[in-house]
Amino acid sequence: MARLDIDRLVKRYGDFFAVKDVSLSVADGEFLVLLGPSGCGKTTTLRMVAGFIEPTAGEVKLGGSNVTLLPPWKRNAGMVFQSYALFPHLTVAQNVAFGLEMRKLPRAEVDKRVEEALALVRLAGFGARLPRQLSGGQQQRVALARALAIRPDVLLLDEPLSNLDAKLRQEVRVEIRELQKQLGLTTVMVTHDQEEALTMADRLVVMNEGTVHQVGTQRDLYERPADRFVAGFVGRTTFLSGTVANGRFRTDGGLDLAVAPSSTGGAPGKAALSLRPERLEIAPGPIAGLDNDLPGTVEFVSYLGAQIDIHVRLSPADRLVVQIANRGGFAPEVGQRVHVGWRASAGQVFRE
Amino acid sequence: MRRSQGLTAAALLGPATIFIAVGLLAPLAILFRYSLNSFVAQTKTMVEALTIQNYITFFTDPYYTGALGTTVKVALLVTVVCLVLGFPLAYVVARTQSRFKHLLIIAIVLPLFVGNSVRAAGWMVVFGNKGFFNASLMGLGILSKPIEIMFTENAVIIGIIAVNLPFMVLSLQSVIESIDRAVEEAAFSLGAPPLTMFRRVLWPLALPGILAGTILCFILAMNAYATPFLLGGPLFKMMAPVIYNEFTQKTNWPFGGAIAFILMAVTLSLTIAANALLRRRTAA
Repeated sequence: MARLDIDRLVKRYGDFFAVKDVSLSVADGEFLVLLGPSGCGKTTTLRMVAGFIEPTAGEVKLGGSNVTLLPPWKRNAGMVFQSYALFPHLTVAQNVAFGLEMRKLPRAEVDKRVEEALALVRLAGFGARLPRQLSGGQQQRVALARALAIRPDVLLLDEPLSNLDAKLRQEVRVEIRELQKQLGLTTVMVTHDQEEALTMADRLVVMNEGTVHQVGTQRDLYERPADRFVAGFVGRTTFLSGTVANGRFRTDGGLDLAVAPSSTGGAPGKAALSLRPERLEIAPGPIAGLDNDLPGTVEFVSYLGAQIDIHVRLSPADRLVVQIANRGGFAPEVGQRVHVGWRASAGQVFRE
Repeated sequence: MRRSQGLTAAALLGPATIFIAVGLLAPLAILFRYSLNSFVAQTKTMVEALTIQNYITFFTDPYYTGALGTTVKVALLVTVVCLVLGFPLAYVVARTQSRFKHLLIIAIVLPLFVGNSVRAAGWMVVFGNKGFFNASLMGLGILSKPIEIMFTENAVIIGIIAVNLPFMVLSLQSVIESIDRAVEEAAFSLGAPPLTMFRRVLWPLALPGILAGTILCFILAMNAYATPFLLGGPLFKMMAPVIYNEFTQKTNWPFGGAIAFILMAVTLSLTIAANALLRRRTAA
């Protein structure tokens, strides 16, 4: 395994920048996830690391050596594709052996490593089967075994779980993550599924429109989002739009709200206030001891089992979502008058 | 339910089956019976008999075995060249993301809109000794005497390639299109350079299309009539013109029938042999 450095990578198609100026470093043994909506450039970035796409500018360094101009077959990067891309005419063992044969290893060594790799993904004894005789989850594990067998410098995962059903996906997440830790694999995964990203990553990279918005741990992204895009993309949030002036936030609907002093510096101006639904409190009457306490009307309730989402209108222009745990206590109904409250520190202001 | 399904299947298969029985199998059976009859040359009449004399005549006369040899040689050559030229073309058409893809496909099929004889006639105009090609090169002083293109084996080979290439490309393209692009990338990422990837992944996966294309191409070349007749000239002999000659010029139906059956048997057995060989090669 080795560290991976991406330096000022650019991919331009005509006037369109698929990736503009992306720099990232992945430490030896680290699991980095590129997260973003489709078309954000995450897959293009991964494919430039694999060598399938030639960058317009920038460098890719693997274990300190510059591989930017090397073709994929000279890179020693193990890749797991979204479609798995198993060779349908070869058996499971032949699939896993493919990369080892390319490295001209002696037959005995190839057989030994194939067996090891299959055991690693709990598919020992499946070597003689053809890919089409396996379930989706098993095919996925063969793809993983095939990528691991070559002992790659870096493991690249391109939406590897998106073709599995929801239940299996949760199991495989944990499985891949444990394997990655056990083997100390330097790994880059691309996904648009944030739950998947949050479960598996050491660090995450949030991308949009070809640029990196923020790099950090799960906690960094959720608690201290760098900008409005990250706040909206990672986790759920309600945005109230308004203006910042004199240490207060005034919504377009005319509400005067207390916000954390750190976010109100500088000149007055347009801004958005981000409020996470689970950081808000809701009660039938006034709530004491909070910086903000506002009356409102319940407009919509969605019952999700363990939790309940309550949409509350605070003013003609301001509506927000409050999430409460379903502990069998207070459960407001549509049309009911309620109070919503939160600490100033629960909100985050983003200047526009 | 089951019964009505059986009826539906019969109704769907029936017309085509009847057509093949009446239009193909019956005439073949009759022709085969004719090929065992004998022929009186003086009166140009067929005499009822049960003899394999016609088949013996064919295989003992170098004129006819020569025609068979030429036919097989030309057909093999044409097929190999079509495969070599057709694969890259088919690959590009199958993998292109261009919005002009359908135009590419039309461009490949377009030559088929012109009949073989019309096309061969066109070739005669262009490649004759006094044709456009030689006249231009001689007029420019590049040649002092014309290049013999017309009425050579090469002219026939080039002509049949031009006719058959679209069939090869279309057979290959549809199969290549069904191969996930990611398996090629997977081979690359596992360390296979392009040629190895082709040999180990693309070729075996495209094999059904390769077989379909080569079989189609080979059968068409074995049975080519207009192209060898018009471009090969009077001295060049391939099987289809020879058969035609027996039927129409000599009205020797028994011998014509025998040659037709020999052509069919040779085509069929070579096709099956090549098929088996290709499959074995890939399995190994």
